[in-house]
Amino acid sequence: MAYFSTASTAPGVSSTTSTAAEKDVEVSEPPSDSISSLAFSSQADYLAVGSWDNSVRIYEVGAGGQTQGKAMYQHSGPVLGVCWNKEGNKVFSGGADNAARMLDITTGQPTQVAQHDAPVKVLKWIDAPQAGILVTGSWDKTLKYWDLRTPTPVASVQLPERCYSLDVQYPLMVVGTAERHIQIYNLTNPSTPYKSIQSPLKWQTRVVSCFTASTSSGFAVGSVEGRVAIQYVEDKDSSNNFSFKCHRRDSTPSAKDQALVFAVNDISFHPVHGTFSTCGSDGTIHFWDKDARTRLKTFDAAPAPITTTAFNRNGTVFAYAVSYDWSKGHSGMTPGSPNKLMLHACKDEEVRKRPKKQ
Amino acid sequence: MGKKKNKQLLRPWCWYCEREFEDEKVLMQHQKAKHFKCGMCPRRLNTAGGLAVHIQQVHKLEPENLPRIENALPGRDGYEVEIFGMVGIPAPDVADYKRRKEIELGLSAGSISQPPQKKAKIENKVYSEEELKAQLQAHKALMGVSSSPEKPPAPESSAVYGAPPQAYAAPPVPASMMPPPGIMPPMHMSMGSPFPPGPSPPIPPGPPGLIPPFPPHVPGLPPGLPPGLSIDPAFPPGVPNLPPGISPGPTPPVPPGISPPPGVISPFAPPIHGMPPGPPPPGLNPAFPAPGLARPPIPPPSGWPPGGAPVLPPPQFIPASQQQPSAPPHSAQSQLDGNASSRPTQLTLPNPALSQTNPEFKKPTDLKYKDPNFAPEEHRGIHPKYYYHAKPTDGATAVAEESKGKKRARAEDFL
Repeated sequence: MAYFSTASTAPGVSSTTSTAAEKDVEVSEPPSDSISSLAFSSQADYLAVGSWDNSVRIYEVGAGGQTQGKAMYQHSGPVLGVCWNKEGNKVFSGGADNAARMLDITTGQPTQVAQHDAPVKVLKWIDAPQAGILVTGSWDKTLKYWDLRTPTPVASVQLPERCYSLDVQYPLMVVGTAERHIQIYNLTNPSTPYKSIQSPLKWQTRVVSCFTASTSSGFAVGSVEGRVAIQYVEDKDSSNNFSFKCHRRDSTPSAKDQALVFAVNDISFHPVHGTFSTCGSDGTIHFWDKDARTRLKTFDAAPAPITTTAFNRNGTVFAYAVSYDWSKGHSGMTPGSPNKLMLHACKDEEVRKRPKKQ
Repeated sequence: MGKKKNKQLLRPWCWYCEREFEDEKVLMQHQKAKHFKCGMCPRRLNTAGGLAVHIQQVHKLEPENLPRIENALPGRDGYEVEIFGMVGIPAPDVADYKRRKEIELGLSAGSISQPPQKKAKIENKVYSEEELKAQLQAHKALMGVSSSPEKPPAPESSAVYGAPPQAYAAPPVPASMMPPPGIMPPMHMSMGSPFPPGPSPPIPPGPPGLIPPFPPHVPGLPPGLPPGLSIDPAFPPGVPNLPPGISPGPTPPVPPGISPPPGVISPFAPPIHGMPPGPPPPGLNPAFPAPGLARPPIPPPSGWPPGGAPVLPPPQFIPASQQQPSAPPHSAQSQLDGNASSRPTQLTLPNPALSQTNPEFKKPTDLKYKDPNFAPEEHRGIHPKYYYHAKPTDGATAVAEESKGKKRARAEDFL
């Protein structure tokens, strides 16, 4: 526990102590409204945080888990997605103002780099061999690729529905849209889908996330109905596809009915071990091993939904946002509802794969 | 005696895969080997519950991660039913299996499903309100169809007639008017005798082909009345007396939707020129006409401009074709003209015809987020606190200008 042992004395830690997760460090000066998205830089422990208060904040995460605000810029509307480029010197963000913006860390200057006809829900940096490309997915039912040098997209791809989630693990890109469409792209040919499928889950898609550190490419899908599907891209691996229930609760403590079903809000894969986390509207987070099909860790339930999660570049820090996710509509937005950004130091046994049983 | 007879007809069978076996011992061996075998070790358990406990305790799997029961028929791969040989099979499944078996063997209805003594135990359970109602319904359907006076039953028309199991089958019903099984009078004499006198119509024997899932042991029915006793050609099938609601009325015609005026660009109406109007996805309620039928040929009503939306009822769970008529065209129009950039209070689907519905749950479930058509973020995005008032043209030029200004510098960065 030496890793975060200075947490309580770190200057950045706010005075409100978390009872739900005592060992986890709460980031000071969190966004003033719900956190929509998190992304760690691939080069250093810098964390970009997008929020419904229209801002993007960038924190530096120290070795002891202490954090320091480094930069902040604004969108004209709520921020829905953030990501970093490969070099770790630019932060991108997409928002409800139909725009994607870029912050150059070296100059501190934000600029608009992309435009859609509807809110930009998600954006990712594609680290292609020739040159990096930004991809933005929007509720206007398009994907657009930007090389940042021209105000027009390099390519625009029509999606069957509004883009809800997108993940890239070059050369694989997976896009989850409304009405349960999932499109799989091979980024060597980014303009046409490699495969188009219906989600293996029967309820609205919340999130798609590509495997890391895996021999065969695939992705996980999370739905509003407390369920995650593990889906391999190639048909030869399809026998390994499976889905499992999670983020459910019993309706009464005595009934073992698991009748309260919460949405899976985010799925993050560990960059080194290939295990993954799920988080839900029920305020819990779990770590899983898809190959051994076991649960590795369960976090204590937070008093509010977990909206988004992220591992840092080497998987030693796990960041998660305790915020309201609008799952109960406007009425669920109570004045005192927690809005916290937490950092968890990952222990090796929590995230390492278990030997496969037989 | 009766048991022996039944044995020839109905051998022990496995609930999980509906395979038949010589005797129950073999069946149990089969279940241990095929269904209750642990996938992670060679251990074989006796029951599904045992297997579940074994997997949870020995292999440390969470209850929600339990593998389904192997080699089982769909829907029978769960751990909820505790099966041990033939013990524990849900009564409806037993009845269903027997009925199918009867059909398969070409036997008349009731020859197996009228359980002998041993099976009577299962039938003997207390009938729920619904079951009783269903049976009463079936009984009424049987009774009410015929207007002809009582016909004498054709005694030798059915092999079932007078079969001993029959006599045992009917009694185990909560019946107040029913004579005890032992003192049942012969068939043809009993007709009508247990019934209260009065205007009630004469009771004809059950019509062929209308035998309900459970033979009509309805309170008040003479216990000895076997189903399918008489073959009466003049007997009309019970269609007119089916409970209401079976034959669906024609779907009311739906007036064409109102298409947004050309030239109004809505943030929620993305370009769909490239997308041919495909068939509705699975899950769409088939009762509603396909988009092409109800809509004018002019631009597909891809959604409502933000200003027009407030008059619409909530889109979720209401198929698009129903909400259209409720929006008076002129009010939508005036709102469009008046405050085109105002905030929508409801989300509207780009293509209402593709509206989704959540599938049914198999067991009672409280799904916390119920809208199948919109993400919570989309709802949040139109809330007054968060709604972004877009200025479509300004935004585009802003990008262009901003990008122009930074273009050179960034290009250098890249090189």
